[in-house]
Amino acid sequence: MGALAEREVLRVLRLWTQTIAPPVVAAALFIVVFGVALGASIRLIEGFPYEEFVVPGLVLMGVATSAFGNNATSIYQARNDGFIEDPASSPMSASQLLLGYLAGGVVRSLLIGALTLAVARAFVAYPVEHPWALASALVGTSLAFSALGTVVGLYSTGWEQQNVVGNLVIQPLVFLGGVFYSIDALTEPWRSLTYADPIFYMVVAARHGMLGSSEVPLGLSVGVTLGLAAAMLAWSWWTFVRGVGIRT
Amino acid sequence: MFSTPPPAARSSAWAASIRIAWSSLGGRHGLCSSAAFEAGSRPRALRSPVVDRDGAPALLCEGVTKGFGAGVTALAGLDLEVPEGAFFGLLGPNGAGKTTLIRSIVGLTRPDRGGIRVFGLPAWGEHAAEARKAIGYAPQDVALDRFVPVRESLMLHGRYFGMPRAEARRRADDMLMAFDLTAKANSYAHHLSGGMRRRLLLARALLHRPRMVILDEPTAGVDLELRHDLWAYIRSLHADGTTILLTTHYIEEAEALCERVAFIRGGRIAAEGAPSDLRERFGALRLEDVYLQVVGR
Repeated sequence: MGALAEREVLRVLRLWTQTIAPPVVAAALFIVVFGVALGASIRLIEGFPYEEFVVPGLVLMGVATSAFGNNATSIYQARNDGFIEDPASSPMSASQLLLGYLAGGVVRSLLIGALTLAVARAFVAYPVEHPWALASALVGTSLAFSALGTVVGLYSTGWEQQNVVGNLVIQPLVFLGGVFYSIDALTEPWRSLTYADPIFYMVVAARHGMLGSSEVPLGLSVGVTLGLAAAMLAWSWWTFVRGVGIRT
Repeated sequence: MFSTPPPAARSSAWAASIRIAWSSLGGRHGLCSSAAFEAGSRPRALRSPVVDRDGAPALLCEGVTKGFGAGVTALAGLDLEVPEGAFFGLLGPNGAGKTTLIRSIVGLTRPDRGGIRVFGLPAWGEHAAEARKAIGYAPQDVALDRFVPVRESLMLHGRYFGMPRAEARRRADDMLMAFDLTAKANSYAHHLSGGMRRRLLLARALLHRPRMVILDEPTAGVDLELRHDLWAYIRSLHADGTTILLTTHYIEEAEALCERVAFIRGGRIAAEGAPSDLRERFGALRLEDVYLQVVGR
């Protein structure tokens, strides 16, 4: 398992110009454009300057999308090229395979989250009121989307399917999850739809961890985040046990 | 790939040099102990027999059945036994079920019914991990990780099979030397020639010192020279006591290498035996004639 995890992490680090730099640069651009350039024109959001308000959501957006993309791509590539059969025909169990592949997505996404926070610090003097809440939100999100990416990577029969899930499902949910706005500013039915978006709770948990307050209670947001992570991990484990995409 | 002898002596000289390289590496038993070295270099007849705890065959397939839906039955109650230490060939046309059977043994295709045991251990279920440790598998398709260098891909394989990092590295370097790939240790698989990739597949299959090596059409698409080199590699493995299960389309390859062959047709074993016995049984001069009688349309 350690070998597979090492392989996945080294892949991320070796391809850092593709895996790490672009999401961090994109997040920095969001912070500069939406936060700094437009922030002065926008009134306080939930009592916070806009540039501070958007940072948690942007960090979480980077973590979620990179965790999903990494594992979906890595696993599908291994299947498509056939070299997944080497670890699959080894004595490793389904759990060991899962943990090995999760390592790449988790390391990549948390690294992106950390670098985004570091870059954001250069532009925005954000607080971190509850570090454990922030860490729970980011780690839970990383696990959830790494596991989801694993499932999609195993089920995919072509690259276009990953793009469909990533671009037409996850990205809209992320953007509509309150990254750039407060749910209190929405009218129905958008408000109710946002409450139905699981990513909203991840964003809110991260925001509470940094800013100290949020639109829903912290226990609910962290609970939904960790619950979703547990559900995705269970789904991905079961997918490996059944041998989907690996064993015929 | 080794120093070039005169053409007339090429095969025997290369086979000898490969045998020397393999024996000097301690064969399947490794490098470390003098006993292991002795085990690797003594003539086969003088070595203690490698007997499984309960004398189980290297491979036992009983009633193995596998369908892929829409009326496609790849394996139809296949029975097969491969004794330990045997050099066993499996021949059959495309679609006969050879690769499906191999993949069922190594854990990549789950049979619908029946049982598969490797040295007495079930290939699926609770003890599958132990069974897989005993198998080295070189697939028909050259599927190599193109994101890691050659040495690292070998080390990863060793570690997938439970070897500690340092041992995996030593073993990887040994295999690179044995298969004349040392100069390509830091290259990536897509930078290797077709022949080098075939050798790398075989090196990978042998890295964790398996008791049985399964080679799925190892010489498909390779030139005549490399084919004979690979034959020499495989013969040296067998001489060291490793069980070999070889699938091939090439009758001459089966006749040159295998002690026993089985013909597979329609997902079942149609005939089995030593090449000479099969020729006699079917009244044929050549194994190819037996093949055509048993499998041909």
